[in-house]
Amino acid sequence: MSALTSLTSLLIFPAGLTLILFGMFYEWVDRKLVARFQNRVGPRWFQPFADIVKLLAKEQITPKVVNPFLFFGLPVIAVSGALTAALYVPLIGFAPVRSFTGDLIVTIYLLSLLTLCIGLAGWNTSSRFSLIGATRALTQLFAYEAPFLLALLGPALAAGTWQINLINDYARGHWMAISQPVGFVVALIGLMGKLELPPFDAPEAETEIVAGALTEYSGRGLALFKVGKSIELIVGITLVSAFYLGGLHGVLPFLAKTLGVLFLMAMLQSLLTRLRIDQTVGMWWRFGSILVLAQILLTIVLKGDLL
Amino acid sequence: MNIETTLQQAEGLLAPWNKEATHPESNRLDVVIASGSLRHAVTALHNAHWGYLSAITGLDLGADAGQMEALYHFCFGAALTTLRIRLPRTALALPTIEDIIPPATFFERELHEMLGFKIAGTKSNDRLFIPDDWPDEVFPLRADFSIEQAKPVEGRQTDEVLEAGVVGGNKFVVPIGPQHPALKEPGHFEFSVDGEIVTAARMRLGYAHRGIEKAAEGRNWIQNLYLFERICGICSHTHSLAYCLGVEKLAHVEVSTRAQAIRELVAGLERIHSHLLWLGVAAHEAGFDTLFMYSWRDRETVMNLLEQLTGNRVNYSANVLGGVKCDIGLEQATAIKEGLNFLETRIRHYLEVVTTDTMFLNRTRGIGTISYTEAEEFGLLGPTARASGLVRDVRVEAPYGAYKQFPISAVTETNGDLEARCAVRLNELLVSCFAIRAIIDNLPQGPLTVKMPRKIPAGETISRVEAPRGELFYYIKSNGTEHPARIHVRTPSLCNWVSVLEKAVGRQLADVPMLIAGMDPCFSCNDRMITTVDRSGSRQTLSWTQLRERGIEYYRK
Repeated sequence: MSALTSLTSLLIFPAGLTLILFGMFYEWVDRKLVARFQNRVGPRWFQPFADIVKLLAKEQITPKVVNPFLFFGLPVIAVSGALTAALYVPLIGFAPVRSFTGDLIVTIYLLSLLTLCIGLAGWNTSSRFSLIGATRALTQLFAYEAPFLLALLGPALAAGTWQINLINDYARGHWMAISQPVGFVVALIGLMGKLELPPFDAPEAETEIVAGALTEYSGRGLALFKVGKSIELIVGITLVSAFYLGGLHGVLPFLAKTLGVLFLMAMLQSLLTRLRIDQTVGMWWRFGSILVLAQILLTIVLKGDLL
Repeated sequence: MNIETTLQQAEGLLAPWNKEATHPESNRLDVVIASGSLRHAVTALHNAHWGYLSAITGLDLGADAGQMEALYHFCFGAALTTLRIRLPRTALALPTIEDIIPPATFFERELHEMLGFKIAGTKSNDRLFIPDDWPDEVFPLRADFSIEQAKPVEGRQTDEVLEAGVVGGNKFVVPIGPQHPALKEPGHFEFSVDGEIVTAARMRLGYAHRGIEKAAEGRNWIQNLYLFERICGICSHTHSLAYCLGVEKLAHVEVSTRAQAIRELVAGLERIHSHLLWLGVAAHEAGFDTLFMYSWRDRETVMNLLEQLTGNRVNYSANVLGGVKCDIGLEQATAIKEGLNFLETRIRHYLEVVTTDTMFLNRTRGIGTISYTEAEEFGLLGPTARASGLVRDVRVEAPYGAYKQFPISAVTETNGDLEARCAVRLNELLVSCFAIRAIIDNLPQGPLTVKMPRKIPAGETISRVEAPRGELFYYIKSNGTEHPARIHVRTPSLCNWVSVLEKAVGRQLADVPMLIAGMDPCFSCNDRMITTVDRSGSRQTLSWTQLRERGIEYYRK
């Protein structure tokens, strides 16, 4: 019975199918918003879905030099990582399916799995564009990962627990975007880095390295990576808004808050010029990490439970 | 210094090697020298800072004459000095001057590949324009060239160099092009990188060769107008303008001031459309798509104006030999003025964006900096040179057509980086807007066209106009018939390549697309002179399915 429930929650609701559809909807909102900001018409509502269907129907070309096991396995691992991460966050405003002490750390690392898989995939295909894309993706991972983690630890420290569910409950009465503004900004921008959205799209800067690590992917593999990214988009936004925007309880607050965050992200995407990889790393370590560390120290001191 | 003294100075400099000097036109000096004294003569002009090497034209005087000529054109303001070297067809050896004047390497390779001159001492032996499978010792621009000679040599492929990159161990080559998202037109670059840093750069052109120079020899003067207009889709008007000015000069036809003014007006509108297009491309290369979308949206305004004026959005065909095709009435004048008001506010806004937006400046400020001396040494032209403070603008240095009546002031910047190149181009548009308004307000009266003879008197002339990318150089030779004997085109992009190849080394790979975009390259302009060969005859014809399978098969290797 419990195995069946687990499977259902992983494959159908709230993760799995529902999540994929939600992810596509959010991807569409993001694309549409950016398009409107850029004075374009933008895609129709079913475009992300149509993209996936088209990719699934297409032939998948496997380069000769790749390790086929990795080539096919990596997209699957990436998607399963993202889907598993979804089990621990308050999706659609409901309580997480799974919850245990310290699940925050697990979730964050499950989310990083996608980037790791993309990096490995780029290395595996050994095309020149993929190699440079993979190097950049992993370099960027080391740049934003620590600040992003620290930015999520701020609310955790304030709530006194490392369990997402409990932090979400604690956040109900505390808008931590107001009490920890730096953390909120870093988390938001870190999320954009995680998703390789502009201005952090150097790993897939098309004018230099075509499609970066995924250049050699086509058909199903590419579709899976795209699905993984949509899921990560929604899981990431859920996490950030649950922590910083007064928690997610109920469908309507969930939609309002996550779409609000998405709106902010779309605005930043259209306003900013792509950063070079050295500029990205420099920015995170010189400003992001230090600011968020200061914020955390402040939180600890104000909480008064240091030692 | 006026033209006469400038030319006298050149004659003085060249006196030791001068075999025969003539003044074919009031602003030109033509000096015949021996090939052995070429390097001395070039060094003398170069050391005296007498202008810059604008182009090298190769001429085949025909199998009967048994001779070929190489013309080295130097420009200094409006003055032009041509060093003419006559060589027998059997011994076409010329010493290289690429060590004295770096950009000459492109001209020399063109001479070699198209006409078969042997450039002694050159370091660049690989092909730049003609395909790798083009047979040796077949030169497309020779008078006795026939299409049967151009059988592709089997087994020679461009990809060899590329494949070496991956296995080569310590050398990692990133290919950009011929098909690449950063390039809107086909060109090929190989950047060796160490991590993210570029350590070497190599370039290959010729993917859009259409053999226009050769084709021109078989068409009459009127047909050629439309042919040359199609060299470039962005600066089609300047190409036809350079051609018209040259042919009109040869035919001693004086075009009415009204037609000249309208020509300048269309050129001004074309500049606006070209630079806005460039701004969008540059923004896209930098990863700032919002600016790209906005500037291209606003570019539609000027495209619509051009369409309203001439009936076409791209190849306007505003010029005809002896005048212009379209007139400017009250309706057009009002529309242009309204359009300019809008564009001017937008251009000012973009100027503010590219000079103040911190994130964009991260990608442009201090990147690809070219100093004044380097700009001079590389032989840069147009906005790329003006961004380094070097005034290279034919409209100012040697005003042609209506630019005497409606002058333009040269816009320069001093920093020479990508930011300066953005600023120069946008400021230049404000100047163009101003000039267009002045033309509309004071449009001279007169006929639109004057009669042109069908046969153009024998002679040769040089016509230079300022295209949006820099000086456009046309050498036109007539032998008194309905067909031109030779037309040689040197486009500004060809001269500006050095700026990319020299400046990419040591920079981040991420800066490379911006560097390429920074000079506003135009590949179809570069690639104008090779003859197209009908390959289906000599090679197996592939059906779509076969081609596709071949592609997939190739890819799997």
